[in-house]
Order: sequence, then structure tokens, then C-alpha cells
Amino acid sequence: MDNVEFWDSNRKIIRSQAGGARIGEGTAYSRGYSVLEELVGEISYFQMLVLNVTGNLVSRRLGEWIEATFLCMSWPDSRIWCNQVGAFGGTTKASPVSSVTAGILASDSKLYGPGTVRGATHFITSALRRVNEGQTLEEVIYSHSRKPGAQPTIPGYARPIAYGDERIEAMEKVRKKLRLDCGPHLELAFKVQEFLLDKHGESMNLAGYIMAFLSDQGMTAEQIYRIYALCVNNGIHACYAEAYDNPPESFLPLRCEDIEYTGHAPRPVPDK
Amino acid sequence: MATEKTRNPQTRLRGERFADKITTRLWQEIPSPGNPYIARSSRCHGYQLSELIEKRSYADVVFLLFKGELPTAKQSRLLESLMIGLINPGPRHPATRSAISAAVSKTHPEHLLPIALSVLSGAHLGAAEVSQAMRFISKNMGVPPGDAAKRLLRTEEKAGQGDWHIAPGFGSRFGGEDLLTADLAEALCRHADEEGPLLWARAFVECLPPCSMGWLPTGLAAAVFCDLGFSHRSGPGLFQLISAPGLLAHGLEFANKPITSVPFIDNDHYVMNMKRRPRSG
Repeated sequence: MDNVEFWDSNRKIIRSQAGGARIGEGTAYSRGYSVLEELVGEISYFQMLVLNVTGNLVSRRLGEWIEATFLCMSWPDSRIWCNQVGAFGGTTKASPVSSVTAGILASDSKLYGPGTVRGATHFITSALRRVNEGQTLEEVIYSHSRKPGAQPTIPGYARPIAYGDERIEAMEKVRKKLRLDCGPHLELAFKVQEFLLDKHGESMNLAGYIMAFLSDQGMTAEQIYRIYALCVNNGIHACYAEAYDNPPESFLPLRCEDIEYTGHAPRPVPDK
Repeated sequence: MATEKTRNPQTRLRGERFADKITTRLWQEIPSPGNPYIARSSRCHGYQLSELIEKRSYADVVFLLFKGELPTAKQSRLLESLMIGLINPGPRHPATRSAISAAVSKTHPEHLLPIALSVLSGAHLGAAEVSQAMRFISKNMGVPPGDAAKRLLRTEEKAGQGDWHIAPGFGSRFGGEDLLTADLAEALCRHADEEGPLLWARAFVECLPPCSMGWLPTGLAAAVFCDLGFSHRSGPGLFQLISAPGLLAHGLEFANKPITSVPFIDNDHYVMNMKRRPRSG
């Protein structure tokens, strides 16, 4: 008989440090707080999100800063890949939940969206550690080059289609308005940007900025990934709604000739 | 301004050249003369779909779609056997249970499969593990399987409680060997390429500690996909595709049943062990 004690100890029972409801008794808890008596009407949705993910009840100011970053990723432009997925759901009359969920799943990407969180956070936290251990910024940066001296590929820097990221300036205004400090990770993130701008014309993107700031707030890569899982949902909602409200399949329809076939010439199917 | 010491780089287009249209090598739609949006016929890698329907199996056409050529008889048999063998992750798999939970709570039936497949995407017995296992097999194929197993047993350490996958796709299931997958692997190995990835993986499994470790469904799928020459990127989706019928069938079994037809953990067995931390940030 295999040792199944560990699985037996979890059978037919749930133990939770996150919280839960006393169903039928009218009470619910999150991380030790009574949801209805202490949180509803007292804290923001984003404070609650961070609380549920990390177990920490952060300040309203930090919750507002995180909310502002979500706004920065809420562009209702159906050319953006995840938004386009939502619009395709709308044009085929899929449900809003299905379409927005599909769009969010599309944003779990190596190129943009929450899928970039782990890489960007690992870069800035390891870069700060290495600089504090005595490596030069140049050494740290070029350790991300495929060949010595070649343009490095650094998560959190560069962006699809455009150079620069205007959202960082907007978020810096928010940070200062909310009197939130610029910590060592964010300081270093800007220094990396200065170096890359001088040498390669590349700059930090919003993900790199957010990860650096939240690393200064003591959050881990996994925690940030979880908090930002839905970060693009707002723009997808808009693109879904607009496509849904128009006639079906009228969003970017394609003629047969709009797809260029480059494959095998016609051939008979061989008998088995 | 960002900080006093930094510039705000100007945003501008990179000026990349995007394709004028989508191109595909795998599917050709021939428009009808009267309406350019309506396809009159379609071909898969050059074969008329209507002719494939007449002459080939579903597994053959799946192989054709992903590989560009029809399979040999041996390849066809191997893929079809895998598709039957892994058609259902079983009612205890978390992906299946997510379909059941959704169905019994009256989720729209069209959502059941996407829900279950999302849960079947993970790095533990899910699609992500298939990709990792394919990479593991490809990377180690040049190494004698015994040496690869010895190295892993020497260098890898079990992390925490629960099962130990000594390599992606290989290890313990509930503390023991997954016997059903072991039996399925034996059956599939009869259709394998000599000296190919599937037989290498079998030899690797034979070098793992007996009775406590062995094949996992993800490792078996990965070995077969490698044997058939599928790319690492196609592995996760193919695994989901193959598992989809069982997930959906289990969900549908509960779609019309009352919410009381599956267990619900009562308050006495939902134990909250919360530590309230001071406010931060």
C-alpha cells in the first residue's frame, strides 16, 4: 500500500488561510477581516484584490495607484490583440463573459499583458541584487544579450509597434500626486532605461515600470501576476460590446481571397 | 516628468511592416462564383475535404492538419490509440471536476469545454507539462536513459508534500505509480518507432524507482507526440484536444441535474485558519 496519508488528510475538507463564508449564517471573512462589517464601504475594490491575493491590507493610496495602472491598460482599441479577441466574440454573438475571458486569456502573453509580469519582475529584482553585489549596470544589462555587445532583450523594456511608453509619465504623475515613494527598484529601472535610450534607443514599458514599483512595495512576481491577471479586461469589454451591437460577422469580415494560400497544390487522397 | 534624473522618451511608431493579408499553408478555401465570402470547397494541405471524409479517419486528418502529410499506417495507429487512451482524464481529475462544478451550477453548456480545458492547461498533469516533457525528451534523447534517470535521482530534490515529478511527465501520482498509464504506454509502444522517443521514454521509466514512479499521462502524450514528429508548440493543444471528449461528457452528465447531486462541503468541514496582518503600503 502506498503512503496516501497526505491526500487522506485533505479529503472531504477544505482548510483556508484566505477566508470564506459561513454559509447560512450571513458572515464572510477575507484574511481575518469581516467582509461586510470591516471592508465593504471602507476599502476600495483594488485594496480588496490585493488583500485577497497577498493577505496584506494595503493603503487606499496604493490601491488607487494600482487602479490607475489598470486604466492605462483599458484602451478600447479593437486592433490590440486581446481586444480583437473580445470583438470576435461579439461579432459571433458569444456571451460577454466568454468573450472577455477569451480576451484576457489572449493577454497571458510573452509579448504584452500579464504574461510579461514574471520576466519583468525577475529582471528588476535580480538586477538590483547584482548591482548591490558590485556588478556594473552595463554588465547586468548586457548579460541579456545573445552576443557580446548586441542589443539586449530585457523583459519590461521595449514594446510592440511603438517606441516609448507615454503611460509611464502619466503614472509618475499619479505616483507623485498620491505621495508614493520611488524606491530602489524603480530608481534602478529608470537608470536601465537611461542606458538603453543612450545605447539602443529603447525605453521602459509600462510592465517594467509597474513591476519595479510594486517590487519596492514588497510584492513578489507571483503576487503581481495574480493581481494583474485581469488587467486588460476593461478595453475588451468595450470592443466586445461594440462588435456585439453591430450585425453579426460585420467586424473585419474576410473574403476567401483575403487569405493567401501558400500550401501544397491540389492532390488526390491516396487509398489507405 | 518621470523623475528629475530621467527623460520621458517620445512615443513614436517603430514603422514595422505588417503583412497585407493572412497567409496559410494548411487550408485553402475556393470562393463560390456568386459570393466572394462563401467558400465553394476547401482543401487541407492540398486534399479535398470531401475526399478525406470518404477515405480517411479523424486521427489521420488531425495528423495531416498539424504535420502537412498523411500518416503512415503505423503512425495512424499510434495516434488513434493515444486519442482513445487519453480520451478522458477521468472523473477525479481537477479539469473534469471543474466541468462538473460548472455544469451542476447551471453554467451555459457552451462554456463547459473552455472551462475544463483552461484548467487542463497547467504544469501539473496538464497541457503545459506536455510541452515541458517534450522538451525534456528531445533534450535527453542523446543520453542513455539510465544515465538521465540516475542524474535526476541524484540531483533533483523533492519539494514539499505531494507528488514528485522527477522530470516533466514522469514521476508519482498520489504517491505511487500510475498503473493505467503504464498499461497504456505498453500498448502504445507496440506501434512505436524503433530507437524513437517513445521507446527511449519507456527505457527511462524502467530506470525510475519501481512502484513509486513511472509514466504520467502528460509524459506519455509527450513521448508519442515526439515520436510522431509534432512540434513542442503543438503538444499542449493536442493534449487538450485529445482529452476534450471526456471532460465535456462528464460535464454534460451533470448539466441537467440538481445542484444537490454533487457533494457540498458543509461549514464544519470548511476550516478557516486566518492570520490578520497589520495594514501595509
